[in-house]
Amino acid sequence: MLHTKNKKLVLLISVMLLILSTVLLGCTSESVEQEEADASSETSESTNMITFSWPRDIGEMNPHVYNPSQMFAQSMIYEPLVSYQDGGELEPHLAESWDISEDGKEYVFNLRQGVKFSDGSSFNAGIVKKNFDTILDNRERHSWLGFVPLIDQTEVVDEYTFKFTLTEPYYPTIQELANVRPVRFLGEAGFPENEDTSKGVEQPIGTGPWVLEEHKVDQYATFKRNENYWGELPSVERIKVNVIPDAETRVLAFEKGELDLIYGEGVINIDAFNQLKSTGSYESSISEPVATRILVMNTNREMLSDIQVRQALHYGFNKEAIVEGGTSGLEEEADRILSTNFPYASNVDATTVDYDVNKAEQLLDDAGWKLPEGKDIREKDGKPLEIELMYNSAESIQKTMAEALQSEWAKIGVKLNIDGVELPTQVERFNKNEFDMNFYSTSGAPYDPHYFVNIVATEGFGFVEAISSYPNKDELLSQIAAVQQSTDENERQELYTSILGSLQEQGAIVPISYIKQIAIYQKGVSNFTFPANRDEHPFTGISIEE
Amino acid sequence: MIASLSVLVKSQKVIVICSLMLCTLLFISAFAPWLAPNDPTLVNFAHKLQGPSLNYPLGTDHLGRCTFSRILFGARVSLGFATLIFISSLTIGLIIGLIAGYKGGWVDQLLMRFADGVMAFPDLLLVLGLVGIWGAGLKQVVLALIFVQWVYYARVIRGVVLSLKEQNYITAAKISGSSQWKIMKKHIIPNVLPPLAVIGTLEMGWAIMHLSSMSFLGLGVQPPIPEWGAMIHEGKSYIRTDPLLMVYPGLMIMLVVVTFNLLGESLSERFGIKRR
Repeated sequence: MLHTKNKKLVLLISVMLLILSTVLLGCTSESVEQEEADASSETSESTNMITFSWPRDIGEMNPHVYNPSQMFAQSMIYEPLVSYQDGGELEPHLAESWDISEDGKEYVFNLRQGVKFSDGSSFNAGIVKKNFDTILDNRERHSWLGFVPLIDQTEVVDEYTFKFTLTEPYYPTIQELANVRPVRFLGEAGFPENEDTSKGVEQPIGTGPWVLEEHKVDQYATFKRNENYWGELPSVERIKVNVIPDAETRVLAFEKGELDLIYGEGVINIDAFNQLKSTGSYESSISEPVATRILVMNTNREMLSDIQVRQALHYGFNKEAIVEGGTSGLEEEADRILSTNFPYASNVDATTVDYDVNKAEQLLDDAGWKLPEGKDIREKDGKPLEIELMYNSAESIQKTMAEALQSEWAKIGVKLNIDGVELPTQVERFNKNEFDMNFYSTSGAPYDPHYFVNIVATEGFGFVEAISSYPNKDELLSQIAAVQQSTDENERQELYTSILGSLQEQGAIVPISYIKQIAIYQKGVSNFTFPANRDEHPFTGISIEE
Repeated sequence: MIASLSVLVKSQKVIVICSLMLCTLLFISAFAPWLAPNDPTLVNFAHKLQGPSLNYPLGTDHLGRCTFSRILFGARVSLGFATLIFISSLTIGLIIGLIAGYKGGWVDQLLMRFADGVMAFPDLLLVLGLVGIWGAGLKQVVLALIFVQWVYYARVIRGVVLSLKEQNYITAAKISGSSQWKIMKKHIIPNVLPPLAVIGTLEMGWAIMHLSSMSFLGLGVQPPIPEWGAMIHEGKSYIRTDPLLMVYPGLMIMLVVVTFNLLGESLSERFGIKRR
């Protein structure tokens, strides 16, 4: 029971709380209005601007760090020595040309002259060396790139000539220089006092076509055109990136006209994309394959170590229907681990497996997995044929396909448990070999094919453990080691054909479909092209009606 | 007989209607395999995202599965696991409440402070935290929900036991030499049943809601088992093109939860019991 005194106290406190909350609420709504007013005044300033959305904040604009910095944004500010173009062509960018010594160890770059950083300082061999040196200070971190641990020394030959030496030949070096990170160049004024960029940069100064103008974390970022750009000046003045985490909200914002462009992989539901396309009020385009969805079967697991079981699983699902239905016709069914538009991948024969339930059942029977009377799941020595498939829960296409596989394989008496996990967990479990089957993808352009075969051969990435029961494993690994050191183009081609061919044949790495990027934009936007490098920004040449 | 039934219906309209609703739902979940026109887990991309038809009374989802069949089977999961949670937390709550209330002293203090600790956190937050530690999955979610829920039963039962303990007839029973067990069985448990019926029905609604919420977040029921919360989650991607995929399971959750809550409210009025 409350006494009268206490009752008064309670009343007083409640009234105080009520007043306080009203005051606080008033504050927030005012400040929101203020911000909105700011934003609208800004947009009215420049009409030559493209607004698009991204699921995450762009992160720190430092060329030498990884997540959560977003690659498309890093690539707007910072540029590479060499750029990756369609079909894996490597073209001069900040380096006008390069020479590789006979033994494949010395790389000499003739730098482009007259290139200025956005603060007016000039780009030369000195600043290239400085960037290389800070990257090499964190060698361990960047060692996923094959050539970084091999660099012996870096050298300024003259103002526009830069040279580095490797401890052993490594042919993919030039291709790895095209990556969005970490080998891109920060201007002198961007370096912190201790010259170590791994902890942060002073200012995001690059040579690229865009300059970061404003950045409100988790809200938006605007990029201004770099008026001193050495190459072709972009035709739009500004790019605004609105952070919209939710795919459906992104579509609604686009429909309302708040966004000029939606672009990326899996950024919106494909059915929503198709529906927007079918209205005819927007333009859209679909990229070339940028990577391959693959299923990795762990041959360390007893049941999957049997090639007959693996083949039965191939025969037991209708790849065409799953890809068509799961991606609403966007992606193509894949018969190769790497699609033919990748370097060295065009000679590999496709491993076509036709959907054949009877054959799958036959193979499983032969392998000793029989269907007991009155049961739905096959057994061998009393053990049920039960497999777990791990997938990234954030990827709706993976989930859809996993559920479809579950239903398909149930028909041949295989129980598939599907386990949606977050990406870091997926990677960790894959690396530690704690999985039966993993839904994964190749790294895509500009990393493949060398990066893919490299991680297949390197311990700790999951692949080498997964293929451990291949009869020809040792031969494969020695071929992979040979291909990276090879200095002969024809030899490399032969080795890749053989490596990729036998990886496919053994059937532990099952290509599912080729991943494509999508873009949908308002009618006023023109000259949109997809970058050949999957991680680059797509704004080169884009224009908008004012 | 009929006359008395009509009096009952008139005087307890809400209770009767809600009970009928519940019976229907129980019937649906018990006979889902016979009522459902299709296999709820059969994927068929050729029929994906179709509108209602004779074969698919409520159309199909993004994998071409029959929405109607999934709703029916979903009732099984929701009601079944909610009942499991209800019975388990009731049992735990009943035992702990009886001990705390009857024994009193430090036992009571210890148990009730622990209960306070659990109650100090918002339910959903605690459940999320526990599932975060244990990992996603139906088993973990059910355990977490039981862990959060038994507390309410324990508190209510302890309160009732405390007031009963002072009653003269209990003292009389003690004096006449009845054992503790007998006093519990004969005099205390029958008296805690009405309040239990009230919180029980309310908490059933709560359990269904939370189970669905967890599945919506992808933490509870794992595919391909049909569950309403998970269905809403799957339908979310199609909110613009096929909003009904979200609406059907949403309506079902609403219907069930509202039924349980109304029933609980009217029971509490009927028995004159205050809720937590």
